[in-house]
Amino acid sequence: MSTPRFPVSTAVVGLGVRQYKRGAAPMSEHGVLVRAIVDACEDAGLDPADIDGFVTYGDDKNEPVRLMTDLGTKELCWSTQVFGGGGGGIAAAFGAAAAAIISGQAKTVAVFRALVQDNSGRLSAAVMAHHLTDYIVGVGLTAPAVECAMRAQRMLEHHGVPRQCMEDMVRASYYHGARNPKAVGYGKELDVEAYRSSRVIAEPFHLFDCSRENDGAGVAILTSAERARDLKQKPVYLKGVAQGAGKGWGDLLQNDEHYASAGFASVARRLWEQTGLTPADIDVVQVYENFSAQGIASLIDHGFCTYENVAEVVRYENLIAPTGKLPVNTGGGNLAQGFIHGIGTAIEAVEQLRGTSANPVPGARYSLLAGGPGVPTVSSAVFSVDTE
Amino acid sequence: MEIALKGLGNDANYWQALGEGRLSLPKCAGCKRWCWPAPFRCSDCGSWDFDWQDVEMAGEVYAWTRVRHPFGGAEALGLPYVVASIALPAANGIRLFGLLEPGDDAAIGLKVAGKVRTNRAFERDVLAISWRPVA
Ligand SMILES: [Zn+2]
Repeated sequence: MSTPRFPVSTAVVGLGVRQYKRGAAPMSEHGVLVRAIVDACEDAGLDPADIDGFVTYGDDKNEPVRLMTDLGTKELCWSTQVFGGGGGGIAAAFGAAAAAIISGQAKTVAVFRALVQDNSGRLSAAVMAHHLTDYIVGVGLTAPAVECAMRAQRMLEHHGVPRQCMEDMVRASYYHGARNPKAVGYGKELDVEAYRSSRVIAEPFHLFDCSRENDGAGVAILTSAERARDLKQKPVYLKGVAQGAGKGWGDLLQNDEHYASAGFASVARRLWEQTGLTPADIDVVQVYENFSAQGIASLIDHGFCTYENVAEVVRYENLIAPTGKLPVNTGGGNLAQGFIHGIGTAIEAVEQLRGTSANPVPGARYSLLAGGPGVPTVSSAVFSVDTE
Repeated sequence: MEIALKGLGNDANYWQALGEGRLSLPKCAGCKRWCWPAPFRCSDCGSWDFDWQDVEMAGEVYAWTRVRHPFGGAEALGLPYVVASIALPAANGIRLFGLLEPGDDAAIGLKVAGKVRTNRAFERDVLAISWRPVA
């Protein structure tokens, strides 16, 4: 029962990001989001009034209908949110946008995520609110870091993934972030000793293994491949996208079959079937790393490495653009670029294929985005430079 | 903070037993499979009936973390505290959350025995299982 080929007939044509330090946004969440949407329209050469569809994920509170007065929306045709409180909906949001365009329900769709702490509170608390029951809070499992740390501990202790891989993953993100003027970590090298001696949050996670939280909004505009050709930017095509959970993974109170994984087994299988690609075809990877170990588990789930050879692949030098064989989180990722609930990783996945990344992978043709490791519902997408 | 659910799914019997100091888990009346989270319907055989049976609080550590950051809602536990996922051989390996107390020797495979305790979270008393290492 194979997944049919995904129709490569939609493209990302506009990007907009407004990112600030947590608690430092100059406007409300709604205002920041409107700014980022208009930025993305200017980037694409589109009139904001022509955006007729909106998709978000992760409990974003900005109902698209309320954006109409700011944008001058002529007609709202598609207004959708992917279920799940974590970042598992990020790639799926691109899938929902493409579904609307391919089926003719909308023509130009903005995928967005906006987060301003004064309006929506701490993200970690919002994510955890999905799961806070007596059963969970009774044992102090009140933060995503605790849940992910347990899975990470089993990945290290039982499956034998070396602790060094976590450090290398973090160092690669900070290396890229230090060289990305749009990153929170721009110009700041991560000192390995500072990483190792940073305070422990929940074993095995130190402070630097955990993602930041930023205020801001990020937007990617999708339209048909046909329309994309007439717009300002080089189109970046959506090659394939899959979301969900296989049997044995989900909201199971940690009774998952592949407990130490990031939950992508079925999603990755469908993504490769849809695209006809294999991990070897992917030139650059953006993995949503809420925590370093979950980034590694995502790479394993997608087949970039195994528990046996993870130390050879998830190695600092190998993860660095442009010389590494598997450049990962080339914008700096959630750890060093910034964290507006992961939308920055999606933006970077597109920028790599436009050739505008601060850490470009020369000649990159296929770029992978994986969202939401460890949460009940996850999603992945592949972007490409052409429609073949 | 308003917490509507005590747990996940069809788990009222679990909480009632825990309140009496017992661990009770659902076993499908049709295919005799242990189930957790507690379902309304057995997806293996289609049965809607479950026999809730007392299960000895004896198991082994499947996963754990020692928490050192003061996360909201966990104040009453003090720092550090160890959260663990405990596999129960008597219930076909079903895994339950618990506190490992003391948690100094936390390790996967550690044999443990449990008892019910109360924890204070979000200004409410909440039942949980405290697991201690056994020789
Ligand atoms: Zn059954």
